[in-house]
Amino acid sequence: MSNDSARLQLTGGARQRVRRERLYRYLLLACASATVVVTGSIIFTLAFDAVQFFGMVDPVDFFIGTEWITDRGQFGVLPLVSGTLLVTVVAGLVAIPVGVLAAIYLSEYASPRARAVLKPALELLAGIPTVVYGYLALIYLTPFLRSLGIDLGTFNVLSAAIMVGVMVIPMVSSLSEDAMSAVPDALREGGFALGATKFQVSVGVVVPAAISGVFASFVLALSRAVGETMIVVMAMGLRPRLFDLGSPLTSLQESGQTMTSAMVQAVTSDVGAASPTYKSMFALGLTLFAITFLLNYLSNWFAGRYREEYN
Amino acid sequence: MAQDYRPDRDSSAFSGQTGVNRLRGRVFEWVTLAATAFGLVMVTVLLAYVFTDAVRPFTADAGWYLVYAATVFAPAGALLAYYYRTPEPAGDVALSATGLPVVGLVAGAAIAVLFIEVATPADWFGLVVAVLLAGAVVVAHQRLRPTAALERLLVVALAPVLTVVGIPALAVDVALTSPYTATEILTIAFATPELLSSVGAFVRPVVSPVPGWLLLVTSLTLPAAVLFGRVVVRRRDDGRGLPETVAGAVVLTTAAPVAAPLVGLAALHWVVLATAAVLPTAVYLERVLRRRSGLLGLLFPVALAVGVAAGAVLTDAFGFAGPASWLDWSFLTSPTSITPEKAGIYPPLVGSVLMLLVIVALVFPAGVGAAIYLEEYAPDSGPAGRLVSLVEINVGNLAGVPSVVYGLLGLALFVKGIGLETGIVLVGGLTVGLLVLPIVIISSMEAIRAVPDSLRQASDGMGATRWQTIRCVVLPQALPGILTGTILALGRAIGETAPLLMIGAAASVRLAPNGFFDKFSAMPRQIFAWSSEFDPDFRFGVLAAGVVTLLAVLLLLNGTAIVIRNKYQQRD
Repeated sequence: MSNDSARLQLTGGARQRVRRERLYRYLLLACASATVVVTGSIIFTLAFDAVQFFGMVDPVDFFIGTEWITDRGQFGVLPLVSGTLLVTVVAGLVAIPVGVLAAIYLSEYASPRARAVLKPALELLAGIPTVVYGYLALIYLTPFLRSLGIDLGTFNVLSAAIMVGVMVIPMVSSLSEDAMSAVPDALREGGFALGATKFQVSVGVVVPAAISGVFASFVLALSRAVGETMIVVMAMGLRPRLFDLGSPLTSLQESGQTMTSAMVQAVTSDVGAASPTYKSMFALGLTLFAITFLLNYLSNWFAGRYREEYN
Repeated sequence: MAQDYRPDRDSSAFSGQTGVNRLRGRVFEWVTLAATAFGLVMVTVLLAYVFTDAVRPFTADAGWYLVYAATVFAPAGALLAYYYRTPEPAGDVALSATGLPVVGLVAGAAIAVLFIEVATPADWFGLVVAVLLAGAVVVAHQRLRPTAALERLLVVALAPVLTVVGIPALAVDVALTSPYTATEILTIAFATPELLSSVGAFVRPVVSPVPGWLLLVTSLTLPAAVLFGRVVVRRRDDGRGLPETVAGAVVLTTAAPVAAPLVGLAALHWVVLATAAVLPTAVYLERVLRRRSGLLGLLFPVALAVGVAAGAVLTDAFGFAGPASWLDWSFLTSPTSITPEKAGIYPPLVGSVLMLLVIVALVFPAGVGAAIYLEEYAPDSGPAGRLVSLVEINVGNLAGVPSVVYGLLGLALFVKGIGLETGIVLVGGLTVGLLVLPIVIISSMEAIRAVPDSLRQASDGMGATRWQTIRCVVLPQALPGILTGTILALGRAIGETAPLLMIGAAASVRLAPNGFFDKFSAMPRQIFAWSSEFDPDFRFGVLAAGVVTLLAVLLLLNGTAIVIRNKYQQRD
């Protein structure tokens, strides 16, 4: 502040100018605080109704119950959590290997020209609206998988999860590629000097050196998969189902429901604003917000580590 | 495996591997390439199916394709090949000279839709008069009391509000209830009469006898022409161009009653389209002609237009049928229907446009303001600095919060909190606006950070205050970056569905919304509604056409953003 006033003295030091400067500063500060207000109001509004929900439904029943049948007043969140986890795991199985390999190609093998085309093209995948992905999964991917001989229902976990995976590929590849590009060339040259091949340098030097950034991209992609709504609403159906450990594959072939699609179902069905079904949305939303916030924070922490090391 | 005995191999850091394996490296490279292509190829193939379902290209006659291949694709391809080989900037000119009218036409169509659905030309005229009046008051105050800076702030803030809105009648009724005991903690209820009506209310009855198109010539074309004229003047060395631009624009638009019926348009739409598409194109042409480089690029849009027209005439003459596309003019201009052939996307299209307007007007200023504060003002050391870095992390985290949670927030905040109705345009815009706010902030921060510090120091050195530095140095430099980021954020906003479901946007509406407090449906919401229809004509035809429309709008937005970015990256 002291150098502010010194600078103002040079231009005549008009008092109102100081005041005006301060006013602009506060106006802009208010804009910046809006983001904190948004976070605060998310937590507050969700907690506000979630508290009411837990007044109607025992939290213990909510967190360990195995039936989610809102009409009968059974609010066990486990089937929804299992649906979300299943989608996230399968999406991760698609996106993580593909994304990391793509990142290795972009950072180690691709010519600058190929990279200049492929990287933005991959990022375009993340810009396609999720309702379009949901439509692709429902109308084209499910019939295609069926034609391959996989026995699938009209609504099924598998094609929804694959689509979620395709959607988050750019998140993995882009962030991992940033981390791999940040690895200093000296490490690569050290590897080559020891007689390593390009493959050995890529897999044995670059990936381990960039591992915290790669992990950050995994976590971010999984967080996006956890919160994905439209794809699962459109292609996965609305039947909450606990994961069947005895026959894991049938769980993939049948319909299921995630926390996000349960929220959409609650708000689109005609229930009163005071009913526990309606309030359950907020409890689910709060759980979801907590999970994704935690994952994002974790991702930031990982990313911060590699930035500290190399930048 | 003779290599295994060689001591230099064993002593290497990779002694676990057996020698150099060329095949493994090759295979690995191909695997990584395949991984890169996997998502791209999959989505491209699926979108090709969507496009085929929407347009049904196989229903067209072979002759139709042959005619268009000869009239459009052959000349366009030849020109493109030429542009690729010549070192002149003809390719850039071709891109701009083709893209500018297209983007202008689409923007003009959006504005024309607003004049059909939301506001009459008289409303707009009243608004422009009000804004001009407010500007005059501010200038007068500046002349009369040049030293009263704080007073002027008050004038600057209040004059537009008073002229545009007046002091309307207010009725506030807020009740805060405790969630536990369900008793009312606090009730605020009062109502005031209207004290001062807006300038528009005075102006509207006066100008209502004047035809709408003439009002738009004075209140839309004229300001736009002055704006573009000033751009021309700044570009030219001889300082000419303003009167010419204004005169050209006025002549072009006053020709509306004569010219518009010739192309089958209403005079009003002629004025809007000419202002949005022809004016910027003409200004661009002026520059190309003056610089005399890449003139051949101008041939491309001409060849395209002539080719399309010739193709239309020829296919009509030979009687070749085009594809029986689901996506046609009537799809874009009619509401949805229970019969697939009649279903269209017009009301949700208008709803999406209005929603974007709300976002641009209410959310972007806040986002850019926050970015300016965080980059230019916020302390970066000490306890306050730590707080600021927490805020920055928070912004990053907000960008990762699931969209469905934002929908819940909008529902709780704007519907249950403020008491707005469910599913109206304003609530939709605000909710999706909150969702894209972090994206706007992050991209604006990056753009501001990219402005070199030397510019700020030079400005400081000349005695500018911090705000003057920001307004006159930093913001103009960062503007292309900010613009790119915000357009990309708009692209994100237009595709969001889950928040709209949460705030109760209608699945489909028969009538387009006529204002910001009307119920609305947006394009993705309508697509979702169609996806639960069982009629295959809906599932494969109408739905695909809706998806292609949405993707086309997105492509236009993102393409514009990328062109702006490339243009200004080259300059630096």
